[in-house]
Amino acid sequence: MANVFQVRNLKKSFGDKTVLKDISLAVGKGEVVAVIGPSGSGKTTFLRCATMLEDMDSGDLCFGDLCVVNSWTKAMARIKCGLVFQNFNLFPHFSVLQNITDAPIHVQKRDKNEVVETAMKLLKKMGLEDRADAYPCELSGGQQQRVSIARALAMNPEILFFDEPTSALDPELTNEILKVIRSLADEKMTMVIVTHEIDFAAAVADRIIFMADGYIVEEGPARELVANPKNERTRAFLAGLDKSSIF
Amino acid sequence: MFLADITLFQIVKQLSEGLLVSTEIFFLTLIFALPLGLLIAFGRMSKFAPLRWLCIFYISVLRGTPLMLQLLVWYFAPFYLFGIKLSSLAIGNIDYRFTAVIIGFALNYAAYFAEIYRSGIESMPKGQYEAATVLGYTKTQTFFRIIMPQVVKRILPPITNETITLVKDTSLAFSLAVLEMFTIAKEIASAQTTMMPFVIAGLFYYIFNFIVAAFMGWVEKKLNYYR
Amino acid sequence: MLKKLLPLFAAALCLLTACGGEKEKTFTVGFDANFPPYGFKDNNGEYTGFDLELAEEVARRNGWKLVKKPINWDAKDMELSSGNIDCIWNGFTINGREDKYEWTKPYVDNSQVVVVLKDSSINKHSDLAGKVVTVQTDTPIQKALKPDGDLKAIGNTFKELRTVANYNQAVMELEAGSCDAVAIDIGVANSKMNSGKFRMLEEPLMKEQYGIGFLKGNTELRDLVEKTLIEMVKDGTAAKISAKYFKGEDVLIIGK
Repeated sequence: MANVFQVRNLKKSFGDKTVLKDISLAVGKGEVVAVIGPSGSGKTTFLRCATMLEDMDSGDLCFGDLCVVNSWTKAMARIKCGLVFQNFNLFPHFSVLQNITDAPIHVQKRDKNEVVETAMKLLKKMGLEDRADAYPCELSGGQQQRVSIARALAMNPEILFFDEPTSALDPELTNEILKVIRSLADEKMTMVIVTHEIDFAAAVADRIIFMADGYIVEEGPARELVANPKNERTRAFLAGLDKSSIF
Repeated sequence: MFLADITLFQIVKQLSEGLLVSTEIFFLTLIFALPLGLLIAFGRMSKFAPLRWLCIFYISVLRGTPLMLQLLVWYFAPFYLFGIKLSSLAIGNIDYRFTAVIIGFALNYAAYFAEIYRSGIESMPKGQYEAATVLGYTKTQTFFRIIMPQVVKRILPPITNETITLVKDTSLAFSLAVLEMFTIAKEIASAQTTMMPFVIAGLFYYIFNFIVAAFMGWVEKKLNYYR
Repeated sequence: MLKKLLPLFAAALCLLTACGGEKEKTFTVGFDANFPPYGFKDNNGEYTGFDLELAEEVARRNGWKLVKKPINWDAKDMELSSGNIDCIWNGFTINGREDKYEWTKPYVDNSQVVVVLKDSSINKHSDLAGKVVTVQTDTPIQKALKPDGDLKAIGNTFKELRTVANYNQAVMELEAGSCDAVAIDIGVANSKMNSGKFRMLEEPLMKEQYGIGFLKGNTELRDLVEKTLIEMVKDGTAAKISAKYFKGEDVLIIGK
């Protein structure tokens, strides 16, 4: 299985605080990986380095055969990956359709008709085809998040990253997003999802990575890791979550 | 007496000619100061420290000294600093005193606009930049497609304020004896010993600003389609 | 809209600048358009006045094109030394400024008088004690009435010597009752008498003389203008112009 995404010996610090100490991870085509861990574990920083919003201090970052070594390769790599934000970050002055079509038309210079057609298909898949002309402020949080997923998908990325995609949403809306991610998984979309919702991670991911203190502490097939954590910290984390979901 | 009583029509006619000049000062100032202010705002936010300091200094001086004084400086500087005869600076039929008024107003208002732009640009959430970066927009594209349209909506109220002030400030052109409406009102008042020209000039300024405010309100409404 | 406005504006400027006649020699007179009857706007918005009409005739006789340039009085020295104007010709008092300009011989005697409201109780200079008196800024009478000036004996009795930007404002203050008297050029004072609201004290505060001021060193132009003006007085042209602005009176003192 060819790796769509690979990172080796990633290190990152802010000032004298080392956030990522040594992270290595490879994601194969069509694989869905969930990254979990307590807050402060570095999982968000990892995601920001992987999507090149932050520069790493050292390590290798490759998308397929393309490794990021300079600003040129960085720009090339950008269009290979998509990112769905926790707070959606839709462009409020654009309609739903413009949010999805603007980058493909003006960044990728694709044909306008083709892009609009693709966007409408994506909206239909998201169950939002009748909201194409609405503005983000007129949509619910779940709808906005689905638009932002459509926006990322319209760029035809080879891998899609999610940063806590459900944590800004009401719990009952989580299912909406879960359904979308599952259907993407069925289409063999490669995805890396950072989340702190273990149930969500277990439901969508093939593989779960558990991070703590800037290291990957444990990783394994989703169900196995949740059902039978081997590492002490993983166990403590999962136990803590159980408690909080009871009370 | 060397003057017969002036008619209302004569006053209005002369003031209208002045209003035309005031209107020219108004539009030319906006045409030059709005883009220039944006450039200064960029300089003010630049990572290159000398440029940033230069812009901070520029804004501080232009906002910190009276506009009337600045007008006198722009008008007389070519002669006193470089010995250039001011009459040689006329562009066709346009006297240098008018050019100096436009230079003075544009540079002064650009300083105010720069700070308004900066406040608007700095109030934009980081997420908008990040979303644009991830989608592959270049810096220029990000600014003009994503950031600027939203900044315009945010800064419209303070821009309206400045614009209304500008209408009234055009009367400062009298310090270079440019024949805008207020200069003419004063001249008629001196010749006739009547307050009427001031009353009418005041009315004209008010109507002018009423139109400006109505227009800006309309633009604001147009941009209200999103939050 | 601007495209439409520009030609109109250019046309308006033609009144002030030499349009078209580039080769013709111009004679640019700087004046304060707030100073009737020497220089002011007529009912149709054209600049006219006693001094401007004299200047017109001087220019005509020398084959020059006259440019009437209204200036901000506060900036008159800068306008002159920067070459924007050839002279200041505008009821311009010589007294106190003898060394600052290249002067012609005085052409008008100008007394400084006190103007009060018609029903005022002020009848002589001593009545001004304890009153508020308004003058125009940067004028010889203002200088004279100051605590160290020539007329300090009178000035020091005032409650306040108030300074305003121009004569008209001084007269407006008087009319509105915010001051008791205005010290003003007799020519301007006469031009305000028609309204019937004011009265002039008989005894003038001081005698002044008007001249035409040129840039220091510019004796050539000064001599030419002075010579022409004297010719105009001799052939009676100047007296006719004077009569028009001073109720038939000939106020000229040059060349007699």
